[in-house]
Amino acid sequence: MSEPQADFEPKIVAFLCKWCSSAGSDLAGVSRIQYPANATPITIPCTGAVSPMYILSAFNKGADGVLVSGCHIGDCHYIEGNFLARRKMHLTVELLKFIGLEPDRFRMSWVSAAEGAKFAQVVTEFVDDVKKLGPQDKLKKVVSP
Amino acid sequence: MINIQDIRDTARDMLAKGEVRAVIGYRHGTRGMLAEPAFITNPEQAGELVWDPTCFHNLSLYLVEDRKFLAHLNKTSAAPIAIMAKGCDARSIVVLLQEHYFKREDVYIIGVSCEGSGVVDERKLASHLNGFQALNAVFDGDDFVFTTAQGEKRLPAREVMADRCLECRNPFPKENNVVFGEDKTGRELAVPFAALARFEAQGTGERWDFWSHHFDRCIRCFACRSVCPMCYCDECVVDSITFPVTPATTAEEKANRIRWIERSATRSENITYLMTRAMHLAGRCTDCGECERACPVNVPIRLLNNKMEREAREKFGFEPGASIGGPSLVASFLDSDPGDFIR
Repeated sequence: MSEPQADFEPKIVAFLCKWCSSAGSDLAGVSRIQYPANATPITIPCTGAVSPMYILSAFNKGADGVLVSGCHIGDCHYIEGNFLARRKMHLTVELLKFIGLEPDRFRMSWVSAAEGAKFAQVVTEFVDDVKKLGPQDKLKKVVSP
Repeated sequence: MINIQDIRDTARDMLAKGEVRAVIGYRHGTRGMLAEPAFITNPEQAGELVWDPTCFHNLSLYLVEDRKFLAHLNKTSAAPIAIMAKGCDARSIVVLLQEHYFKREDVYIIGVSCEGSGVVDERKLASHLNGFQALNAVFDGDDFVFTTAQGEKRLPAREVMADRCLECRNPFPKENNVVFGEDKTGRELAVPFAALARFEAQGTGERWDFWSHHFDRCIRCFACRSVCPMCYCDECVVDSITFPVTPATTAEEKANRIRWIERSATRSENITYLMTRAMHLAGRCTDCGECERACPVNVPIRLLNNKMEREAREKFGFEPGASIGGPSLVASFLDSDPGDFIR
């Protein structure tokens, strides 16, 4: 693992569900809440649509952290998508920890469309945690010059 | 104790009556003691069938191959195929049936119970035979008896048995049409997931050192995928060479296909491949251990699959291959699923 750097700005890939967390991030924006700009949002139809491959691929392409965020349990637009996501993400996070990736590289949260402040808080905390870990080079593809 | 003659008679009868179009079993191979898969269509060949400690292959793979072959010919199955299945193999067949890969009436399961033992691990055996090659292996109660050029060598089964067999909880094929051998479910030869627990007791750094070493060594020959009855996809998401190309495929289509990973056998790509495979096998892998046996560079693939199996078992109460009608692991959920990792 690399040494933590003071000026290190982590790249975070944020998979946000269209119905809740995307709208939540939007609310954080229109409410002019200040939070780190490290997260690159990718809107997905539902957290249940997040394949573990998305997460592995994000790390493979050089993400320092991956955030998956969706509707609270019981609020899923597709009724049960986030229940399925919870199970799938549990397996994914356990596997990532198992091979020795720092647990703080992956985060999942429930953020509703009304929780702009919570979204800002989740991202802030995540960025802080990833900053402490430094760049992610375990799963990152090494591009030969 | 299984009398092989009973299995041969059953196979011969069924083939002679035309009840099955083939019997997939084991016969004595050409390399030392090892058995090899046998595909028997002629009743007279039924006498070739064997059952010994080297019958480690998971033959359900060939049911998958047969279905692919029939689909390619645009044919349906005329008669079922009979297959010799150990406990783990029978569970693999249950998972395939659960996924509607073929119909229950398309397969006739000749269950063979592993009883008090299991199959041999060649690597463990190698250190016991003074460098001599074993020419034959037979079950004898709780022992295996090997014949070498030096004579007979009797070894307690648990000393040379494959790890997965030591840890096996269900050596008896529950799903079967006919079964040979006693039901010894619940025999405890070793603590299940013992190797996994030992490995997990280490810290993040040690775990990464271990895995990065093995991920570096993987040559991505895809032997683990080829030998796995659960890896039946025609298009493998992590192997762009399997994406179909027809004369109608345009260059643009080919260029725009998502290549999740490169085909080069570098660490990062190997990680993504092996982790994706582990995820795809979560709740489906029945721990037949063939991937690890087939691996030419001895990557401990079983550890990854075991990890998923134990998570499914402990957190979701899910047992792969338990029942044909049951739900699959990632397409079902419980209100009580753990969610404490979610903020």
